[in-house]
Amino acid sequence: MALLFKDPNKISAYRDRRFPGTQEEYEHALQTSTTVYIGNMSFYTTEEQLYELFSRAGEIKKIVMGLDKNTKTPCGFCFVMYYSREDTEDAVKYISGTILDDRPIRVDFDWGFQDGRQWGRGRSGGQVRDEYRTDYDPDILLSMKGGYGKLVQKELEEQRQVVDYGVGSLGSFQPTHMPHNYGRHGGGGGHGYGGSHRHGRGDYHRKRYREDDRDRRGPDNSKRNSEDEPRRNSDHDSRQEKNPRFRERGDSDEEEDDRKRQK
Amino acid sequence: MSSWRSLILRIGEKSPEYSGVIDFKDHIDACFGAVRRELDHSEDDILTFLLQCSEQLPHKVPLYGTLIGLLNLENEDFVKKIVESTQKSLQDALDSGDCNRIRVLLRFLTVLMCSKVIQPSSLVVIFETLLSSAATIVDDEKGNPSWQARADFYITCVLSCLPWGGSELVEQIPEEVERVMVGIEAYLSIRRKVSDVGLSVFEEINKIDKLHVEQDFVEDLWSRIQDLSKNSWKLESVPRPHLLYEAQLVAGKSHDFGPIICQEQSDTPVELSRLNFGRQKHEAELKYPQRIRRLNIFSASKTEDIQPIDRFVVEEYLLDVLFYLNGCRKECAACMVGLPVPFRYEYLMAETIFSQLLLLPQPPFKPIYYTLVIIDLCKSLPGAFPAVVAGAVRALFDRISELDMECRTRLILWFSHHLSNFQFIWPWDEWAHVLELPKWAPQRVFVQEVLDREVRLSYWDKVKQSIESTPALEELLPPKGGPDFIYTSDDGDKTEYTLSKELNSMVKGRKTARDVIIWLEESVIPINGLDVTLRVVVQTLLDIGSKSFTHLITVLERYGQVIAKICPNEETQIMLISEVSSFWKNSAQTTAITIDRMMGYRLISNLAIVKWVFSPTNIDLFHTTDRLWEILRNALNKTYNRISDLRKEISNLKKSVVKAEKIAAMAKAELDGAEAKLMLVDGEPVVGENPVRMKRLKSNAERTKEDEVSTRESLESKEALFARALEENEALFLSLYKHFSTVLMERLHETFGEKTMDHPVGDSEAMAVDEDDTPAMEMDKENGNSKRNVGYTIGEKEQWCLSTLGYVKAFSRQYASEIWPHMDRLEEEVLTETIHPLFRKAVYSGLRLQVDQ
Repeated sequence: MALLFKDPNKISAYRDRRFPGTQEEYEHALQTSTTVYIGNMSFYTTEEQLYELFSRAGEIKKIVMGLDKNTKTPCGFCFVMYYSREDTEDAVKYISGTILDDRPIRVDFDWGFQDGRQWGRGRSGGQVRDEYRTDYDPDILLSMKGGYGKLVQKELEEQRQVVDYGVGSLGSFQPTHMPHNYGRHGGGGGHGYGGSHRHGRGDYHRKRYREDDRDRRGPDNSKRNSEDEPRRNSDHDSRQEKNPRFRERGDSDEEEDDRKRQK
Repeated sequence: MSSWRSLILRIGEKSPEYSGVIDFKDHIDACFGAVRRELDHSEDDILTFLLQCSEQLPHKVPLYGTLIGLLNLENEDFVKKIVESTQKSLQDALDSGDCNRIRVLLRFLTVLMCSKVIQPSSLVVIFETLLSSAATIVDDEKGNPSWQARADFYITCVLSCLPWGGSELVEQIPEEVERVMVGIEAYLSIRRKVSDVGLSVFEEINKIDKLHVEQDFVEDLWSRIQDLSKNSWKLESVPRPHLLYEAQLVAGKSHDFGPIICQEQSDTPVELSRLNFGRQKHEAELKYPQRIRRLNIFSASKTEDIQPIDRFVVEEYLLDVLFYLNGCRKECAACMVGLPVPFRYEYLMAETIFSQLLLLPQPPFKPIYYTLVIIDLCKSLPGAFPAVVAGAVRALFDRISELDMECRTRLILWFSHHLSNFQFIWPWDEWAHVLELPKWAPQRVFVQEVLDREVRLSYWDKVKQSIESTPALEELLPPKGGPDFIYTSDDGDKTEYTLSKELNSMVKGRKTARDVIIWLEESVIPINGLDVTLRVVVQTLLDIGSKSFTHLITVLERYGQVIAKICPNEETQIMLISEVSSFWKNSAQTTAITIDRMMGYRLISNLAIVKWVFSPTNIDLFHTTDRLWEILRNALNKTYNRISDLRKEISNLKKSVVKAEKIAAMAKAELDGAEAKLMLVDGEPVVGENPVRMKRLKSNAERTKEDEVSTRESLESKEALFARALEENEALFLSLYKHFSTVLMERLHETFGEKTMDHPVGDSEAMAVDEDDTPAMEMDKENGNSKRNVGYTIGEKEQWCLSTLGYVKAFSRQYASEIWPHMDRLEEEVLTETIHPLFRKAVYSGLRLQVDQ
C-alpha cells in the first residue's frame, strides 16, 4: 500500500553508528524490528502515558525510558517494544508527529534495544523546542474561550514530578534491561559487541514472548549490583558519543532537518 | 522539466510539476508529451508505473484513462500490453478475492472503454460474467446462498462502474446495458435482504420493523444508479477528460479483452443447518465485507445539495484514498481535501471518516489511523474541518445512548486522543448538564470516561485545568491519588505491618524468590494463614513496583514465583485480582495494566479474570464505568492474540515442512540416482564413482531428512499447543456466556418480564427523538442542548440491562470467528430455551445469526 510515495528501502533517515553490522544488516534490523524509538518527549512524560498512547497501536511488551545517567531521571526519549511487527509499523505510521504532553513526538523504527542504550547524556536543560508548536496550532479546533495562557501551562508542568528511577523503595530495582550476555560487553570491545548484536537480534525479534515471558530472564539478572553501574555507564558513554539519537537536545539542527526530511 | 514519472504521479493536482494550476487539458497534454518522448526508452517502466498509479490513485483514473487512450493512437502495442496486464491482474484479484483490487480494476476498465481502448461490449461481457456468478451463488439449488456477501460484492462492483462510464455505454450499446440492468434487477429479486442487525452503529432498539422498510446497501446503490440513469447519466463528481479529446480518440484501435472467470463456490453443502449457514455466512462476510455503513449524523441540509450518486462517488474516492494512502500522512490529507469535485464536501468527509472509525465489526485499519487522519484534516482545513468535527461529536453525543457499546468505546478513545492533540480544548460547559443525570446515564458515563482517558494521556492537574470553565465537572474526574497501600503506617494491623516491612527489607536485601517462599512457608503461612499472607505479599510487592510500569514488570519478573506459589488456583487468583484492584482503586489504568501483566506471566488465568469481573460487587458497576469491561476486554484480547500467534506459527511451519520435504526428496533422489549408477559398472557392484561424492550425497540425504523430521516435530508440538489453546478458548467463552446469562437472567426478568424490547420501559424520549427524526444539530440550535437530556428517564436497572446486553453483543461480534467453532456447545449448554429472549437476541445479533421467530 502506498508504495507510490514511499521508498520502502529508506525506512529511517538515521544510521545509528553504534550499530555493529553493515548497512544492509542495519536495514534488515529496522525492517524486522519490533522496537520503536521515541524522541522529543517531555522529561515529565511517564511510562503510563506512553503505555496509554502506544497501546493504541498494539499490545506492548516493554517500555524503556531514556535516562539521564547522572540524575537517573527521564531525559526525553524512550523505547517501546511490541510483540508484533505489524503493530510496530502502525506505531511509526500513526503516532509519529502527533502530540504527547504538548510536544510533537517522533517515532522511528529502532534496530533493537540493548542494555546501555537507555542512558542519555548528562547535561540538562533546553528541553523546549517551541518552534514545533507553530504548525500544530492548538487553537484551530475551536475558536472559543480565547485559549489558555501558556504561563499557566508551564506552571502546571513544573508542578509535576519527574519519575526518579534512582532512589526510593525501589533503589535496587532500577529498570535494568540486561541482555543475557551482559558480561561480554565490557571486555570484548568492538569485536565482542558484534557478537552480542547477533545474539540480541535473534532473541528480540524472532518470536514473541507472550507464552514464555516468565522464563525469559535467568536468575542472573537479579544479581545486578549497583557497583556495576559506573563502569557500565562509562563503557557506553564512549559509544554514545557519536550516536545522533543521544545528542543533546538543541545542540544542532540536524534533528530538525531529519524531521523535515521525514515529512 | 519534470520527469514523466512525476508528471504521471501528480497529474490532476495543484503541484509544481504543473505550475500549480489545475487544468485537465494542460495536464494531459504535458503528461502525454513527456510520456510519448520516453516511451521508446523506458516502455516497461512506464507501463508498470502507469498501472500502479491507476490502481493506487483511483480518484484520478479518468485522467489516466484518457492518457492511455491518447497513447493508443501512437503506440497500439504498448496499450495492448496494458490491457493484457490488466486482464491478468483482474483474474488474479478475482481468484484471491482481493476486493479493493477487483473494484478499482473494473473502474479502470470502464475509463479505458471511455477512451476507446476497449470495446463497450467487452466491458459488458465482464459485467455479465460477474452477474451470472452472483446469480448462481444465491441460487438455492446450484449455489450457496450463505455466500451472498460475495454475490453482493460483484453486483456492487458492476453498479459502481456506471458513474464512470454509464453515459458512454448507453450511448453506444443501449440494449446490452439494458440487459445488464434487467439482470441486476432479477438478481435483486432473488437475493435476501441484508439485515444490519448487530452491525449498525446506532442500535435502534425501538424499531424492529424499520428493517423491513429500509433498503440495504445493494438496493440503495441500485436506486442511486437508477436516479442517475433517469438523470441521463449526468453527475458532477466524475471528471470526463476524454470528452476533450473525443475527436482524436475515436480513431483509436480497441483491444480485445480476454475472458475472465469467477471461481465456483466450492464448498456447497448438501443441506445447511441454521448454524452451518450462519457459520458460512460469517466467513463470507469476513472475506467480502461491506465497505461502509453511512452514518447520517448531520442534518440533511448540510449535504442535500449533493446528488445521491455524487455522494456515493465522493465516498468511494475517500475510502480509496484512506485505503491506498494509508501511512502517507501528507499525501493522504492532500488527496482527501483535493478531490476532483466542484462542490464542498467537508460534512460528507467527516461522516465518511466517522463511519469508518465506527464501522462494525472492524474498520479496515486500527482506529488510531482515523484519529490521525482527523488531526491532519483539522490542520489542512483549519477554517472548515474543526467545526465540522465538533459538530459530529455533538451529534454523536446527543445519541450516545443509542450508540453501540463498542462504538462508544471507540468514540471515547478517539475523542480523548484527539483533544490531547489540541491542548484539551473543548467547550465543556455545553455538557455540564450531565451532572444532573444519574450516574448511569450514558452521556454522563461518556464524559467521565473521556476525562479518565485524558488523564491517562496527560495528567490530572492538566485535565482539571482544561475543564476550569466548568469546575463542577471535576466531580467526574478520576481520583487524583496514587496507590492505596494499606501498610503505610502501623495504624492498622501491627502484625501485617511488621510482616510487610520484613518482606520489603528482604526484597531490598536482594533475597531470591526462593528465599522469600521458604520464609513464607516456614514462618508466615503457618502462623497467619493464607489470606493474611496473600494480602501482605501482594500489597507489599505492588508497593515496591508502584513507581512505574517498568518497576512493576521488574518486581513481577523477580518475585512472580512467590505470587504463583501463594495463588495456585482460581480461588486465590481471584483474591489476588481483588487485592490489585483495591491497591490501585484510584487508577483504572494501572489496575488494568497490572492484571494484564499478571495474566502475561501466567500468574492469573483468563478464567479467574472472568470470574472476578462477574463477582457481586463488580456487577453493580457494569453500567457506570468502563473499568471492568476494560479488564475483560484485555483478557479476551490477550487470549486471542496468543491463539492468533499460534495460527501464524503453524501456517509458517506448514510451509517449512513442505519445503523441507521437497529438499529431502531431492537429496534422496540424487543419492538414489548415484547409487543406481554404481550398480551398472560391468554388472559388478564396484564402488566406482567418486566415493567422496557418494559420502557427501549420503550425509546430505540424511541431514535433510533429519531437518524434515524435526520441522515436522515442531509443527506437531505447535499443533498440540494449538489444540490446547482451542480447548482453553472454548472454556473461556463458555464461562463468559454462562456468567452473562446468570447475571442477566434475574435482572432481565425483573425489568422487562418476558418482553422483548419492542417497548422498553421509560425509553419514550429516545423514541420520540427517533421518530421525529430531527437532525441533532438543528435541535441543538433551536432548543438549546439541554432539552433532550432532561428527558433521560431510564431507570438504573434498565440501564444496567441495556449496557450489559450491549457488551454481550459487542464481545460476540468482535470474537465471532473464535466463538463459531464452539457454537454447538454454547447452544447446548448456555443458549438453552430457558434464557431470556433479550440475551439470546444480543448474542445472535453479535454473531449475525438469525433469531428464531
